[in-house]
Amino acid sequence: MNDRPLQEPTFLLLTALADGPQHGYGIMTDVDRISAGRVKLRAGTLYAALDRLAAEGLVEADREEVVDGRLRRYYRLTPPGGDRLAVEVERLQHNAAAAARRLKLRHRAMDGLV
Amino acid sequence: MTATGDLEGGYRRLLRWYPTSYRGRHEEEILGVLMAAAQPGQRRPAMRESLDLLWSALKIRVRTILRGADSQPWAAALAFVAVLLPLLMLLLKLTIFLDRGAQYGFGTPADILIGAYGEPGSYAQSFQANPYSVALTGNVTDALTAGPLPALILAVLACLGRRRAAAIFAAFVPLAYLGITLGNGYTLLGAPRTAVTLYAYGLEALILFAAPGAARGWRALRWRPSALLAIATVAAGVGMNGGLWRIFHVPPAFPANVLGRAARLRRLANLPHGFIDRLFGVGAGQWGGWLLYQGLLVAIIVIALVALLVGSPVSRRALSLFAVPFALGAIIYLCSLISPPLPASVGNTLVVVPLLLMLLAAMVVSLGHGRNAGPDVPGRPATPGAA
Repeated sequence: MNDRPLQEPTFLLLTALADGPQHGYGIMTDVDRISAGRVKLRAGTLYAALDRLAAEGLVEADREEVVDGRLRRYYRLTPPGGDRLAVEVERLQHNAAAAARRLKLRHRAMDGLV
Repeated sequence: MTATGDLEGGYRRLLRWYPTSYRGRHEEEILGVLMAAAQPGQRRPAMRESLDLLWSALKIRVRTILRGADSQPWAAALAFVAVLLPLLMLLLKLTIFLDRGAQYGFGTPADILIGAYGEPGSYAQSFQANPYSVALTGNVTDALTAGPLPALILAVLACLGRRRAAAIFAAFVPLAYLGITLGNGYTLLGAPRTAVTLYAYGLEALILFAAPGAARGWRALRWRPSALLAIATVAAGVGMNGGLWRIFHVPPAFPANVLGRAARLRRLANLPHGFIDRLFGVGAGQWGGWLLYQGLLVAIIVIALVALLVGSPVSRRALSLFAVPFALGAIIYLCSLISPPLPASVGNTLVVVPLLLMLLAAMVVSLGHGRNAGPDVPGRPATPGAA
């Protein structure tokens, strides 16, 4: 498996699909919500990312439906996509825990100096 | 028209920049997302949205091309050409080398390696006389494009399946040549054989980066008997026209009527002298003899090649790839005929741009999927929704 760190939009996109299939607009709004408005996926970027992730076997089409005359295609995480997201979560947690430990030590050292 | 109609029309125009096959699967879906995300009353696509769509369309187009290279016929053709092209280049350089050696002498092994000819040790003598000009210009550039050593190194690397090393070397040779020639104020226009060599190296670098199947090395050539026959045919043609015929052929004494015909043929053939005669090393005015001695052979080769290579999708693709350096060389040669002659800088730019584009494409391909490609990737999963 490719263990390179995921870019933030990719990570958020996979996260948006982690608890169930979503259609394109649903993913866009969910990414916006998860990132507290910091990351706004545009339609072109979203579909280019979905195309790449599908080619890597991390996401796949789930089902289609027509709403108000518009086609909606739902996407879901594949098992390798879930594994990839889990690896990334573990990596981020590990790094975050290390950073938190070091910061705590730094604060103690600074408190000791005062 | 309503605001919604205007906006939808604007988005559809932007979506036309996507590949047709991708649009067929995703246009309505993306349009739905774009319309859902639009502001109330919005009449035309916003600038950032438009740029995002155009940039994404470009990315999808590049990926579509790369995936096309992974499809079965292209993968086979690329793997085939990636190994065969260096072998043919080596053959061509060896025949030119033998031809020149027969005319001017083979010199010492050191002379032979760098493609220098003449009396034994002539390279060393000229190096002593003028180290800078000999070492850094004439002989080195000659060795890079005309000498057999670079082609030999490339052929060995390609045959061993050292794909990445071969690709880097294939990119290095033309870049080194350009660095030396342009740095010394040489003119590149009007030397089609050199241009074809440079483009062949550039194409080889691109193919090696694009074709994971090339990692199979010489085994890639085993895939069908017709390929082996095609190799033999092309090799015979290149070998003979590269100069072997001059070594083996002794011109017969002609009867008077044949001589007259030869003279007429020569006059006729002098008219188009240019790209092909320069490419294959036939000097101006020798076309009559060339036609007499080689015409039949070339006709047989051409017919055999067409019959062999057009026979399957793989062969057609392989043939079209082989044609790329020659077609580019022909264009460059035609540019050299423009009157009044183009300024040297314009001519050099014309020669350099296709090569740099090939090397740039090789770099993009390498960064695009080279990292993920294994030694033999059979194909990639379909795009979203295709499943």
